[in-house]
Amino acid sequence: MKKVAGWFKKQNKYFLVGLAMTGLAVVLGILSFFWTPYGPTTMSAAERFNAPSFRHVFGTDNFGRDIFSRVMQGIGTTVIVSSLIVVISAGAGILIGAITGYFGGILDEAIMRVTDAVNAFPSILLALVVISILGSGKQNVIFSLGIVFTPSYVRIVRSEFIRLRDADFVCRARLMGVKKLRILFVHILPNIFSVFWVSVTIGFNNAILAESGMSYLGIGVQPPDASLGKMLSDAQGYLGRAPWYALAPGLTIVWIVLGFSLLSEGIRRKEASKK
Amino acid sequence: MIKIDNLSVAFDGPEVVKNVSFTIGDGEILGVVGESGSGKSVTALTLMGLVAESAHVTSGEIYYDDQLLLKAGQPRNNALYRQYQGLKMSMVFQEPMTSLNPTMKVGAQVEEVLLLHDKQDPKAPTQSKSKAPAGNLAKSAKSESAEAKAKAEAKADAEKKQRPAKEASKNALLAWHERRVQEKEDRKRRVLEALLNVGLKDAQRVYDSYPHQLSGGMRQRVMIAMAVILHPGLIVADEPTTALDVTVQNQIIDLLRKINHEQKNSLLFITHDLNLARRLCDRILVMQDGCIVEEGATEDIFCDPRGDYTKKLISAVPGRTGKKKTSNSSTTPLVEVHDLNVYYRENANSLFGKTVKKCIVKDANFEVYEGEILGLVGESGCGKTTLSKAMLGLNKMIDGRIVHHSNSPQMVFQDPYSSLNPTKTVGWLLQEPLRAQGILDPSKAMTEKDRVAAAYDMLHKVGLKDKYYARRPSQLSGGQRQRISIGQALITRPGLVIADEPVSALDVTIQAQILDLIRSLQEELKTAFLFISHDINVIYQVSDRIMVMKDGKILEIGETEEVFRNPQDAYTKELLR
Repeated sequence: MKKVAGWFKKQNKYFLVGLAMTGLAVVLGILSFFWTPYGPTTMSAAERFNAPSFRHVFGTDNFGRDIFSRVMQGIGTTVIVSSLIVVISAGAGILIGAITGYFGGILDEAIMRVTDAVNAFPSILLALVVISILGSGKQNVIFSLGIVFTPSYVRIVRSEFIRLRDADFVCRARLMGVKKLRILFVHILPNIFSVFWVSVTIGFNNAILAESGMSYLGIGVQPPDASLGKMLSDAQGYLGRAPWYALAPGLTIVWIVLGFSLLSEGIRRKEASKK
Repeated sequence: MIKIDNLSVAFDGPEVVKNVSFTIGDGEILGVVGESGSGKSVTALTLMGLVAESAHVTSGEIYYDDQLLLKAGQPRNNALYRQYQGLKMSMVFQEPMTSLNPTMKVGAQVEEVLLLHDKQDPKAPTQSKSKAPAGNLAKSAKSESAEAKAKAEAKADAEKKQRPAKEASKNALLAWHERRVQEKEDRKRRVLEALLNVGLKDAQRVYDSYPHQLSGGMRQRVMIAMAVILHPGLIVADEPTTALDVTVQNQIIDLLRKINHEQKNSLLFITHDLNLARRLCDRILVMQDGCIVEEGATEDIFCDPRGDYTKKLISAVPGRTGKKKTSNSSTTPLVEVHDLNVYYRENANSLFGKTVKKCIVKDANFEVYEGEILGLVGESGCGKTTLSKAMLGLNKMIDGRIVHHSNSPQMVFQDPYSSLNPTKTVGWLLQEPLRAQGILDPSKAMTEKDRVAAAYDMLHKVGLKDKYYARRPSQLSGGQRQRISIGQALITRPGLVIADEPVSALDVTIQAQILDLIRSLQEELKTAFLFISHDINVIYQVSDRIMVMKDGKILEIGETEEVFRNPQDAYTKELLR
C-alpha cells in the first residue's frame, strides 16, 4: 500500500489525470466486449428518446437503444481502430524516416516527393479514394488512414535523424565499427523519443477524429455496430428533440482525446526530467 | 571610481555571489579570474544593471563616483541606470557572433549609441568643434552645440515677431532639416573615427557591412568601438577574447590596453584565462563559488599566491615550464600520411548550381610514431579537424595515401555534452565498443561478464568510482564526461586515438586533470595520441612532438622542446609570443 502511495506521489499531475481519464475509457471499452448494461443493438419501441435517467444513464436513441451501452461499444471500436492506425503509420514512419534521413541521397529525394504528394491532399479525401477502391469496412478504414498518416511521421523522424546523423556520439559509434542498423535503431532512435512521442499523441488524436469522421460519413464502421462517429452522425437529425443523443458520443470523444493528450504530456515530462 | 560594497546576489535559491566588495580606481585595469560558475559574470552584470529580473540583490551597495546606483532591498532604478549604461559605463560581451544584431548594418548599430546618449552628453567631442555663435539662422543651424541651437531658437523667436509667421516657420523647417542632415553626417564621421580607432582600417566598408560579413575578430572590434565611442569611465569586458583565435586574441588584448592608455578609462576584465589576466591587468581578483578568495597586484598574485585555491588555479594553468620528461623514443611509424590532400564538397544551394570541391588540407606529409603524443596546433578553420577526419576514414574525398599499421583509430571530441549518447548509461557506453568489435570480428567476441568487468576496469582507469557505472551522461559533469569519452576510445586498445580539442570546453583545473589522465593512460597503455588543440601551452604540456598547421598546410613539425626553443616559421613565432 505504501509502495503504491509512493509511486503516486512521484508522478506528475498530467500523468495521473491523463491516466485516470484514458484508463476509465479503456476499461469501459474492454468491458463492452463482455458486458453492457443493455444490448447495444436491442431496440425498444416503448423507450424511444428517453432522457438520461437512472435506468438509462445517457438516455436512449431513436430506436430505443441504450446510449450508454452503445457508447461503451463505440469506445471499444474507436480506440482499437485508431490505435491500429497509429501503429501502422508510426511504424512505417520510423522505418522510412530513419532510412531516408540517415542515408539521404536519391532514395531520400524520391520518397520525400511521394510524401509531399500524399500531403498535398486533404487526409479525409485521400482516405475516401483508398476506400472507394478497397470498399468500406473497419479493416479498410484502418489501412487507408494508416497510409494517409504515414508522411507526417516520416517527416518528423527523418528530420530528427538528419539532425543526429552527424552528432559526435554517432560519429564515434561509426568509428567503433557499430553496424549501420544498430546505429539507426539502438544509438539514434531512443534519442528522438520526446519529439516522436508528441507526434504520436497528436496522431492518435487525429486518428480518433478521422475515424469518427469516416464513420460519420458512413464509410467507416457499418451499422448496426456502434462507433462514436457513427452515433454522432445518426444523432444530428434529433439535435433539438434529444440533445443527449449527440452529446454522449461527442463528449466521449473529447474525454478520450483530452485524457490521452494529458497522459502523453505527462510521459513526455517524465522523460524530460530523466535527462 | 567604482565601489562595490558587500554585494550578494541570489537567483531563486542559494546566493551565487556572496559578500563581494571591491573598488576600481580611475584608469585601472582590474582582472576578475575564476572558473565557470564562480559568479564573475553575475557580479559584472549586476554592476551594469543588466542582470536578469529573477536575480535578487540580497545585500550590498554599488557606487559610481559616490553616486549610489544600487542598494539591496530597493528596486533597481532603471531610469538612473539608463543615464549610466552606454554613456558612463559600457560592456563588451564574449560572443561576437550573437552580440550584434544580424539584421542591422554595423554602422547603424554603432550610431545608435550616439543617438541614444548624445543629447545628454555635454562633453561629447563634437562640442569642441562647434563654431562661434552664428549671425543668421542658416549659419547657426550648422553649428552642433546645444548652446548655439538655443541661440538660434531664440533668434528665430525674435524674428517671428517681426516677419510674417509663415516665412518664419518655413525657415525654421529648413533649418531643422539642415541641422538634422548635419547631425547625421557628424554622427557618421564619429562612427568612422571610432571604427578606425579600434584598428578597423577599412572603416567605410565595415560601416556598410552586416555582422555576418565580418570575421569574429572584426566583430569584437566593432563591439569595442561601440563600447568606447562615448569615452565612458568604465568598460566591462566579459571574456572578450574567449571565442577568438590565439593570434586575434593577442591583437584584441593589445587594443584594450591601447584604449585604456589613451582614454584613461577603467577596465573590468573578466576571464578564466590567467595568462591573459597576467598580461593585461594591474590588479586581480580571484573568485571561487561567489566569493573573492584573493585580491592583489597582478605580479604579487602570480609570484606569491596565498590562498590554496589561487595556488591550485595557477599551477593548473598550462605553462611552458615544468614539463614531464618524455620517454618515447620509438620511431616505428604507426600511421603514415603521404601527400595528402583533403577536399570538402560545398553543396550547391540552388537546383542547377554546381557543387564546388574545396581543398582544405594541402600536401600533408607526416608520420605518427608508436606510443607518442603528437600535438597538432593551429587556428580554427586551418584544417585540423578535417585532417583528423580524413585519417579516421570519415572523410573519403582525399588524394594521397594514409597507411595504418594498427587497428582502427578512435576519437575523442571537444564537446563533452554531445559526444556521449544521452539515452544510455555509462556502463552501456563503455561496453558498446566491445560489443561492436565482437559483432565485426567473432574471434574477439566477449561474454557479457567479461565486458562488464572490462567496463568497470576502464571506469577505474579513467579515475571514476563504481557508482558512476549506472549513471547517464546528463548526471555527470563536463570533466567526468570527457573521462568516459576517453575510456570509451581506449577500451578496445586501439593503436591510435585522435583527440580533437579534448580540453577546450573545460575549466582550467579540470583541464589539468584531464591532461594528466591522458599522459598517464598513454604511458600505461602505450597508445599513440594525435592531440589537436588551438592552445600552444596545452600542446606543450602534453606532447612529445609538435606539428603546426595554418591554412591547410603543415608549416613545421618537430620535437616539442626543439620547436619551442627554436621556431622556424614566422607563424609559429607569432603563436609562441
